[in-house]
Amino acid sequence: MPLTLKLALRTIARRKGRMALIGALVAFGTFLIVFGTIFANSTSIASKAAIIEKFTGNFIVYSENSKELPSPFAFQTPLPKIRDIERVEAALAAMPEVKAYAPYAQNYGIIQIEREGRKVDLPIIYYAIDPESYAEVFGEVKPFEGSYLGSGAVSGGTPASGGVMISAFQNAEYKKNFGIEVRAGESVTVLGVTEGGVNSVPSRVAALFEPERYSSVFNYINFMDAKTFAAVYNYAGVAALPEKLDASLAAAEFGEDAIFALADDPGAGPIDVDSLKAEQLSGATMIAVRLKDSGTAKEVIARLTADESLGIKVADWAQASGFYAQISAGLQAFIYFATALVFLVVAMIFMNTLIINVTERTAEIGTMRAIGAERSFVRAVFVAEALALNLSAALVGLVASAIALALFSGGGILLPDLIAQFLVGGGPIPIKAAAWPFVLGVLAVAVVSVLATLYPVSVATKITPLKAMSDK
Amino acid sequence: MPVVELKGVRKEYMLGSTKVEALRGVDLEIEKGEFLAVAGPSGSGKSTMLNMFGCIDVPTAGTVLIDGTDVAGLADRELTRYRREKIGFIFQSFNLVPVLDVYENIEFPLLLKKSLSKKEREKIVMRFVEEVGLSDRLRNKPAELSGGQRQRVAIARALVARPLIILADEPTANLDSATGTKIVELMRQINEIEKTTFIFSTHDAHIMREARRLVKILDGRIVEA
Repeated sequence: MPLTLKLALRTIARRKGRMALIGALVAFGTFLIVFGTIFANSTSIASKAAIIEKFTGNFIVYSENSKELPSPFAFQTPLPKIRDIERVEAALAAMPEVKAYAPYAQNYGIIQIEREGRKVDLPIIYYAIDPESYAEVFGEVKPFEGSYLGSGAVSGGTPASGGVMISAFQNAEYKKNFGIEVRAGESVTVLGVTEGGVNSVPSRVAALFEPERYSSVFNYINFMDAKTFAAVYNYAGVAALPEKLDASLAAAEFGEDAIFALADDPGAGPIDVDSLKAEQLSGATMIAVRLKDSGTAKEVIARLTADESLGIKVADWAQASGFYAQISAGLQAFIYFATALVFLVVAMIFMNTLIINVTERTAEIGTMRAIGAERSFVRAVFVAEALALNLSAALVGLVASAIALALFSGGGILLPDLIAQFLVGGGPIPIKAAAWPFVLGVLAVAVVSVLATLYPVSVATKITPLKAMSDK
Repeated sequence: MPVVELKGVRKEYMLGSTKVEALRGVDLEIEKGEFLAVAGPSGSGKSTMLNMFGCIDVPTAGTVLIDGTDVAGLADRELTRYRREKIGFIFQSFNLVPVLDVYENIEFPLLLKKSLSKKEREKIVMRFVEEVGLSDRLRNKPAELSGGQRQRVAIARALVARPLIILADEPTANLDSATGTKIVELMRQINEIEKTTFIFSTHDAHIMREARRLVKILDGRIVEA
């Protein structure tokens, strides 16, 4: 064993109390680097995945006229409708990278429910969705009572599909504030204020649900099928007039008299109203888009927004989820900051301890210099001491990290629900181990060790042999 | 040629705002193989003079020649090499490396030389271990030794690199008189066997009597050589 290393190891052993304290701090710092980095990264990955899968999709398309970003918290000022949604949908459908997309709108209104002959108005915030496309993008919202929108009749006398789905939290709020609990299958009237007055559309409570993820958001958001929504806000028209009437209209001279004269023309009418096909006009303000590969998002967004005639803007998942995307980034920054702080403290304590060591060993160092040890030898002894102690402690930190990772690799890390909701929308955080934080941990310890020895070593190498002679 | 030659050596240093003249023009020649004591009361300048011999201090004026080389002009690295090759030190407080055992302390100067194999080192170390009578204490740490034993280790360490000069700064000051006498006897025996020059400082009259040559110093001047 080289003399420098022998001296270093034995000095560490001799001053074990002091060194154990530093070792414990270095081990903790290393654990923070490795486990903390992996935890923060795993959280970041899980957060992005959860937001994309359960919150926003890879990106949200919205109207170019919107002054606000699409956000689940923007109910007070619903976004403007997407002007030419068919063209936008066609553009999305033509993109091979797009896995699915779901047009939807966010709004608020009233559902009216009858209890003991009395009509009660219940406020409701909702997403108006096309149940199928929404389920393709985000997966079906799983009801605990009733069935997902559009998936069949609930009871006689109510529409066979569609309706509203009420969150359990919302239902509890109804009970708290109005003394009423709604039940899946019961009839409701959906009210909406339009330019022409208040529209009322008979509907039903299709289901009651508990959000799978992001209950801090979706507890407050209920669902309504797009058809009901369109009916409430008059987003409906006639798909096509009978061919005869169409032809007569085309042939008629423009003018009030000519058009009204068609009423008496047996060739143009009469119109069988039942034969008219209704056309639903979209009231969608947003389209959530899921990609087959999230890595293509930038390119897809660039291509989509390149066509200015579509009249759209795009918010990626991070923008559309508001501060939710920033929470994991904030956590990451906090962990890095805490780690840096721990290492700063470790470096200061270690430097201080080394200076005390140097002071206590002045005679020893002076003696070494007197009998022929060069400054580089003294430097090597202290650096070896720092590296031997800190790398051993780092090894302990690495092993502790590996054990912790092994423990959590199966079920993930279960945090209190409030925190988990904000980080990954709830549930355990799956841990994705990687090798680089281990390498980073060792490198950080090595660099901090060397930096922390710079000043003590400079003090040590300035000790002259005279010190040894004068130490009596 | 003398192994040590001081010519008009002066040493001044500042103690706070006071200028101290530790050596005031010292001329001295020491021949190879001498067993010389430098004696004088505390503050007389004997330690300063020893520091000049040991290349660990440089004069304010004058010349210090060690083995014919003027050491005043040497850089730190050269001075270190000079000490490693030419000078052995015995300290008043023994100054052993506390984490090394007897064998390792004695081997230390040889490891710094880097030119010897492990076997060669072992042979040399064991010879001096036997010479100072510590064969049964090889694996003991300094803390496990008596003062006399520690000073024996220090003597062996000073000798092991076969230096030209051994400097001993009050080597018996921390020992009882019987042990001190034994240490001086040991140094004298080695001086006779190895022909190594021994220069030691002391203010112990009994130790002074053991020296073959006595240099007395007072107030920075040699008063008897």
